Amino acid sequence: MTQGLPPALSVRALGLSYGATRILDGIDLTLPAGEVLALLGPSGSGKTTLLRLLAGLLRPDAGRIEIAGKAVADPGRGLFAPPERRGLGMVFQDYALWPHLSVARNVAFPLEMQRCPTAERRARVTRALERVGLAALAERRPSELSGGQQQRVAIARAIVAEPPLVLFDEPLSNLDRELRETMVDEIAALVADLKLSAVYVTHDHAEALALADRIAVMRDGGIAQLAAPATLIDAPASAGIAAFLRLGTLLPASRTEAGWTITGSRVALPDPPNAPAGAAARVLLPERALAPAATASPDARARLAARVLRVQVRASGFALTLRLAGTEHEVALLSPRPAAPGDDLELAFAPEALRWFPATDDPTDHPLP
Amino acid sequence: MARGSTTGAGGSRGFLWISALSLGLVVALPALFVVLVAVFPDLGRGSLAAPFRPLWRVLSDPALAVLLRNTLVLGLGTVAVSAALALPLAALRALFRVPCARVWDLLLLIPFMIPPYIAALSWILTLQPRGYLEQLSGVNLAGLLFSVPGIILLMALNTFPVVYFILSRNFETIGARFSDVGRVCGAGPWRAFLRLTLPLATPGIAASLLLVFAMAIEEYGTPAALGRRIGFEVLVTGIENRVSEWPIDLPEAAGLSLVLVLLALAAFAVQRWLLARRDYRILGGKPQPFQKRPLGRWRLPVLALFALVAGVATVLPLLAILAAALGRTISGGLRPDNLGLTNFAELLDLGSGGLRALSHSLSLGVATALLAGGLGAITAYAVARGAGRGRAALDALSLMPNALPGVVVGVGIILAWNQPWLPVSPYNTPLILLLAYTCLLLPQPVRYASAALQQQGDSLEAAARVCGAAPRTAFARIVLPLMTPSLITSMLLVFAVASRELVASLLVAPVGYETISVYIWRQFDQGSVGLGMAMALCTIAITTLIPMLLIALMRGRLSPG
Repeated sequence: MTQGLPPALSVRALGLSYGATRILDGIDLTLPAGEVLALLGPSGSGKTTLLRLLAGLLRPDAGRIEIAGKAVADPGRGLFAPPERRGLGMVFQDYALWPHLSVARNVAFPLEMQRCPTAERRARVTRALERVGLAALAERRPSELSGGQQQRVAIARAIVAEPPLVLFDEPLSNLDRELRETMVDEIAALVADLKLSAVYVTHDHAEALALADRIAVMRDGGIAQLAAPATLIDAPASAGIAAFLRLGTLLPASRTEAGWTITGSRVALPDPPNAPAGAAARVLLPERALAPAATASPDARARLAARVLRVQVRASGFALTLRLAGTEHEVALLSPRPAAPGDDLELAFAPEALRWFPATDDPTDHPLP
Repeated sequence: MARGSTTGAGGSRGFLWISALSLGLVVALPALFVVLVAVFPDLGRGSLAAPFRPLWRVLSDPALAVLLRNTLVLGLGTVAVSAALALPLAALRALFRVPCARVWDLLLLIPFMIPPYIAALSWILTLQPRGYLEQLSGVNLAGLLFSVPGIILLMALNTFPVVYFILSRNFETIGARFSDVGRVCGAGPWRAFLRLTLPLATPGIAASLLLVFAMAIEEYGTPAALGRRIGFEVLVTGIENRVSEWPIDLPEAAGLSLVLVLLALAAFAVQRWLLARRDYRILGGKPQPFQKRPLGRWRLPVLALFALVAGVATVLPLLAILAAALGRTISGGLRPDNLGLTNFAELLDLGSGGLRALSHSLSLGVATALLAGGLGAITAYAVARGAGRGRAALDALSLMPNALPGVVVGVGIILAWNQPWLPVSPYNTPLILLLAYTCLLLPQPVRYASAALQQQGDSLEAAARVCGAAPRTAFARIVLPLMTPSLITSMLLVFAVASRELVASLLVAPVGYETISVYIWRQFDQGSVGLGMAMALCTIAITTLIPMLLIALMRGRLSPG
């Protein structure tokens, strides 16, 4: 359906410095029309800066940005289109609704700027507000709305002009958890309905996984991995990404004569399919591959002994924190069955579920929240 | 363009230039000339001879050193008396349930609306021999009035409400957040106040007292009206003397001005430093509802204290003005058959000097409000959102008049614009008054507009840009409308103060051109006290009621629903 269209966004070798500090370096991205790209990373990783560069709110000092096939920034050629000439929609973290204008006037603003005729403008504003379920509140002031409603107005304003690309800057971070989950579903539905191309900045990986076709994990001003959500979960490119996504427990591993063990213990690990170079490695024990041996599937041939430290009751089961026997390492496990602190439990997992990383890839080098 | 700059810069570049040029003309030029002439006394004759002579003379001549000493005595004395008046009242108001608290607040606001020179004149009418007090009670306090302590007392009565309002707000915030915690930890109410509230409020107290100090050393009307009779001259009156009375000595006036400005600047620098530190400590948390304590058996004494202070600071001067304005003749005294509206009739007589002065001052007030408001908005925006290196300098320049007393601005304007070699000059036209008032009052709109901009945050403007608005459009449609309520408030303030400013008007008003303040001042000199006080009453009413009415209207219109 979108074949033949230029990509909604194309970024080549984009860079930005403040004085001697590189804020962003060598960013390459392509977003096919009709897809959603999430920029996921901890605070300070450069994701919001990248979004502001795309919006034209900041000037890059290297590289090139194209939106819908049109170059909007290319400092090498002295090209810089200010935000108003990029034809974008944007949802701001603090909503940025204009308090002196009614909801309808807020939403109408982008159309006014395009000199859209009054009658058409009215119709499109009404349509945009209906989409977000706020048609009845058109004449209210933003200050009279709840946080969730303000968020919807901001979204209506961003989509009303049907821009080729919509930017979302952590739009849900100011909402409480319940509302956030509802809004993720609503935004996902809206994006799919309108076939929007969007870039979505967030530090919440659940949001990114729910919304995006592809996720760029950002770290230290660069893209650490760009992949589809399933790939990202299944094959994180580094231990740091695995730690940031909280995919499970990262264990230090050492090669001994008998095979690989958890460093500092005699606990054996299954042999990796492609032996990492060197005598040490870092291995990810994904939480979703773990199960109590009693309920495990036949694939889960490997075993680890553990003792229950803490138990939290959740609606979806029992969240156990366990310590691997013979080590100081803790693992988390969501068990369908209750357990008590002090219980010994046999954990089962499929050997091929382990992910091996070089020992030098130490996630604690860059502590992540 | 600086790398990585935000896009607001593109839009504010033009503003930066407009603002820099205007501020240069309105603020920097007079200030520069004061400094230049203080350093090169013969600059007017095109000579750089005898550098630093005026400054040196100011610092070495014992006659001039007296001015500096008297200024310090007046400033420090006013600070001490202001503190003594304001501290207990503010603490009581903030921490206890004072009966009719809002009435006292309102009454203590009124001294802000009575220009100090009018208050001083009203005190003369009350306390002088055969004044109102003597007519009513048989005693006069002329001995106190025409003395240094008397001048200090009057200045403190004019200035202490500043300290009162800053401190009662300050005590309330601190009391709510910390002293309850202290009491839970076992400190009694007195200990909680002395050990927690008072130390935490100290920076605020010091900052507000420094403001009073600056106000006191910059004040002209009170020391001029009272001090001259007893030979008590301060820097301000000394400067005025050298500019307006024979033998005119402009270099010496410039030297004295420089010393005065340095004093005021020092006070403001320390004040800003203190405030920056205080904000950090106290405004960190979430405001909490604060349960004020009942006064118990202290209710009546406290009530009496508030009544006494408000009565002396507000009610007595107002009554004296009213009595003089309604008295047919001064010699007739306070008798029912001496009351009438003759003064008002004469004041408002068509073609009278009074009516002309009123129209001069009111139109100058409106013009100043518009000019300072526009310039203030542009400057605040250029400083807040611009990118260039000049921003900090612009910010400092726009706030500098805070430390420029009216008399210094007057001297600077004379020095800058009364040079014989200038081909055209606004000197000797009403425009020169507009320049003087704009210079003096520019910090108000700049401060209000900056606060409004800060409150807005960047994203409202950024959102407009992303929505397709060019910088100019975003400013006109989003930034300016959101700034407007604060800006109008500050412009009303500018109007009120500009239309009754005294000393700069006395110095630079064109020959034969009277403003309200000059009119009142001269009537007093000529013995037409009643006429002057009728004018004072009209002025207070006009400059207070019109802005208050407009603010009320604006609130009604802007409030939602």
